[in-house]
Amino acid sequence: MARIIFDNVTKYYGNVKAVDKLNLEIQDKEFLVLLGPSGCGKTTTLNMIAGLEELTEGDIYFDDQVVNFMPPHQRDIAMVFQSYALYPHKSVYDNIAFGLKMRKYKSEEIDQRVRAAAESLEITHLLDRRPNQLSGGQRQRVALGRAMVRQPAVFLMDEPLSNLDATLRISMRAKIKEMHQSMETTFVYVTHDQAEALTLADRIVVMEQGIVQQIGTPDEIYERPRNMFVASFLGNPPINMIQGALVGNGDQITFTAGAVNFTIPPDYSTKLSGMDGRKVVLGLRPEDVDDHRALVEGETIQGQVNFVMPVGSDQYLSMRVNDKEVFFRVGKEISHKNGENVSLAINVNRLHIFDQTSKESLLWGL
Amino acid sequence: MKTLIFNSDSEKYRSKPKLTVLTRKVGLFIASAILMIYVLGPVGWLLSSSFQTEAEIVSVPPHWIPHEPTLKNFKAIFFQEFEEVTYENRSRVDTSAGGYIPTTAKYLLPSMWNSFIISIAVVILNLLVGVPAAYAMAKIRFWGRQASIYTILTTRVIPDIALVVPFFLVIKNLGLLDSLSSLIITYLAVTIPFTVFILVGYFESLPDELDKAARVDGCSRFQALTKVFLPLSVPSLVAVILFTFLTSWNEFLLALMFTQTISSQTLPIIVAGFTSDFTISFSFINAAGVIAIIPPVILAIFFERYIVSGLTAGAVKG
Repeated sequence: MARIIFDNVTKYYGNVKAVDKLNLEIQDKEFLVLLGPSGCGKTTTLNMIAGLEELTEGDIYFDDQVVNFMPPHQRDIAMVFQSYALYPHKSVYDNIAFGLKMRKYKSEEIDQRVRAAAESLEITHLLDRRPNQLSGGQRQRVALGRAMVRQPAVFLMDEPLSNLDATLRISMRAKIKEMHQSMETTFVYVTHDQAEALTLADRIVVMEQGIVQQIGTPDEIYERPRNMFVASFLGNPPINMIQGALVGNGDQITFTAGAVNFTIPPDYSTKLSGMDGRKVVLGLRPEDVDDHRALVEGETIQGQVNFVMPVGSDQYLSMRVNDKEVFFRVGKEISHKNGENVSLAINVNRLHIFDQTSKESLLWGL
Repeated sequence: MKTLIFNSDSEKYRSKPKLTVLTRKVGLFIASAILMIYVLGPVGWLLSSSFQTEAEIVSVPPHWIPHEPTLKNFKAIFFQEFEEVTYENRSRVDTSAGGYIPTTAKYLLPSMWNSFIISIAVVILNLLVGVPAAYAMAKIRFWGRQASIYTILTTRVIPDIALVVPFFLVIKNLGLLDSLSSLIITYLAVTIPFTVFILVGYFESLPDELDKAARVDGCSRFQALTKVFLPLSVPSLVAVILFTFLTSWNEFLLALMFTQTISSQTLPIIVAGFTSDFTISFSFINAAGVIAIIPPVILAIFFERYIVSGLTAGAVKG
């Protein structure tokens, strides 16, 4: 049972600001993912929850208790590390049991818990081995087991899957999701992998340079990014950004950039009213084209195909629009040739519009 | 199957050249044999001559295997069977016939005990001070951390001889001259920087996440050190134990300065003193040498399997 609250938390390393005025409330039993590029402060934030890093300013609460300088061993937390950090001199059994031994559990209780955890992670046959006799995936399971036997109030994970190969990563992702459901504790998970964040999280916190960019459910983050950083950090291939301007024409607002002209749907144009002539960046996700729809003036993008990348289920088109490269995902039925001029119908209801200078969204702002 | 066409040079590289294999093996054998003789020769002579009489020791060519082995030298050490040589009787006996045992022979075993106490104390105190210091420097980020590591390293480049006078003044003012503690204190000053240096290097090579994992698992800093780091550092600890023991066991200069009587004199001082007696009995000195190398040899045999990995552990950190 733990709700974690960051109240204006700032962390400096020397003169470098790692985390800047973080305000965050993590709900009990929530699966919260801290997402961002390396060096964005997400691991520092996690370490502050664990008590492994001291904060410089502000307060951290576990429920209603301030824990700013409570040492890690007094907090009811467990942590899984990217490098697993198994104790090389201990057997798998002792690795898993160590946290319980340190907390003076009875040996029957320890034995029962270790075996239960091993069973649920399917590593019972490995209990007598040393970590160096295990594969990467097995080590990862031991690391998870070591954290889960403790049945902590808060479960912290620092990029736990990034050292695994692709297939294993997907199956372990499912395992972690399953653990969260069965353990019913608060999970805080750090990753730079958007796919992990989107699949696992109840809520995602996107961070950049120590500053929270957006907090929201995976859908909110993906569908309504608050600024250009969030929009471009999620999505694969990344969102296309086209620089242009808004042109008002009575009730109707149009986005224009060279040969590109999009009519902004009425729902959005109310938000954009009075912004005639404003320099903006238009965001268009690669999947928001529809090659089955009829081409309509104001909902079409034209360009020359650079190359085609088949990805099994569909294909990516690299196109040259306004002398910039953009990517679109289209179905496999139509074959496109390099150098061919193509017109694609776009879904104007899914456009994103950002201010060119502030880089904030004009549609989903605060 | 298609015949592969190859040029005439191919045959030359098809198999390992036989002659070079043989030459290399023979060469390596000869080289290692020479090295072995070079290293073990003096030790062999020490051992052999300690069982010889003074007359046999000077025979030409030398007897590597004693023709008339004798335990006289060892008896003198353990049972104080020696004839005191005085100014009056010095010319009565032919010195070349042997039989002279230095007057200070009776001090050999007490001085060995002194050396042993000092060495053990230095080893234990080194570990007590050096291990926590190295852990703190390697794993705790504190203000002045780099500076303290460099300071400790710098103290190692100062030769001992430069420290003798300052050390002497300190020891004298503390009133510790001619006591075992004077040597323990000064040997610690010399060995602790090395201990910290070796262990910092080793602890730094262990991942930080191991430290974090231990602390999240419920260890305090001290428990993380004792329960996770120490079991993993056995090779480095063995290197430290051996180094500090041998340094203390062999040290001569400081011991010469600070000790005056057998209550604190160490083995190297007493053995060196044998050469300044009225007569010099080389066979006896060699017997003393044999006794002197026994404790280090026992220590080395005991820790043998850790020595090599320990000495490289600090050096090859990634």
